[in-house]
Amino acid sequence: MAKTYTGRDGSLLLNGTTQLKVSDWSLQGELELLDTTTLGQCERTYAPGIQTFTGSANLLYYKDDAGRNDASTFLRSVIKTSEVTETDKVQLTLRLSDGGVNSDITFNAFISSVSIGATVGDISRAQISFQVTGMPTTVTI
Amino acid sequence: MAFPTIYPSARNYEAGDWPVRPYQTLSGAEVRIRYGNRRSNAKLSLSYENIADTEAEQFLSHYNETNGTFYTFSVPAAVYAGWAGSPNALSPGSSGAAYRYAGPPQITALPCGKSTVKVELIGVT
Repeated sequence: MAKTYTGRDGSLLLNGTTQLKVSDWSLQGELELLDTTTLGQCERTYAPGIQTFTGSANLLYYKDDAGRNDASTFLRSVIKTSEVTETDKVQLTLRLSDGGVNSDITFNAFISSVSIGATVGDISRAQISFQVTGMPTTVTI
Repeated sequence: MAFPTIYPSARNYEAGDWPVRPYQTLSGAEVRIRYGNRRSNAKLSLSYENIADTEAEQFLSHYNETNGTFYTFSVPAAVYAGWAGSPNALSPGSSGAAYRYAGPPQITALPCGKSTVKVELIGVT
């Protein structure tokens, strides 16, 4: 059946757990190209180089009835009283769902930046950016 | 093993000179004496950007084979790729001259099995 995906179909999973109150996520993939043009050629040729994946997401700073606050989990992966180590690497899944069929991108990443603020007349949101380490482990998008 | 037949991504040629020595006389006039009739000391700098590591290895093999800067060798036509003039114009010098390595090939390793190689050759008679 034809399907147009919208924000209602999107979700963000941290280590397999669907995060609460995610307002948006995005992922950018880049491929560095190596110039292989030689003398005598009149058009540039390239070979594939390093791939880079970065992304960002916004979560409401929201606490549910059980006291769970997913935005806080992200914030505390960078804003902490000890240094960030390899154990702070997280597994993220960006998902678009069509009923029971999921279109996923799963990867390991480090949270590279976080920000939180409070503004009069607005909801507090946590903005996070992440840097993928290695290749994505699952791509069904 | 011959010099690798790989197309360079950049080439720089310096034509060299005849063996000339200038002398300055007491009057201030300059006298130049030519000690030979052959041009030599031409310099050829070649750059091979983003080539496969296995191709870069060919330069090391050839460098070993020529005992580094000891033996002379000729270069293939691929070295002159993109030059619309006669390859003889970029020769190592006058007739009978040949190139030798001016120094070891410089290899910069890049990701994904690629390397950049820089080679400096010098023309000797």
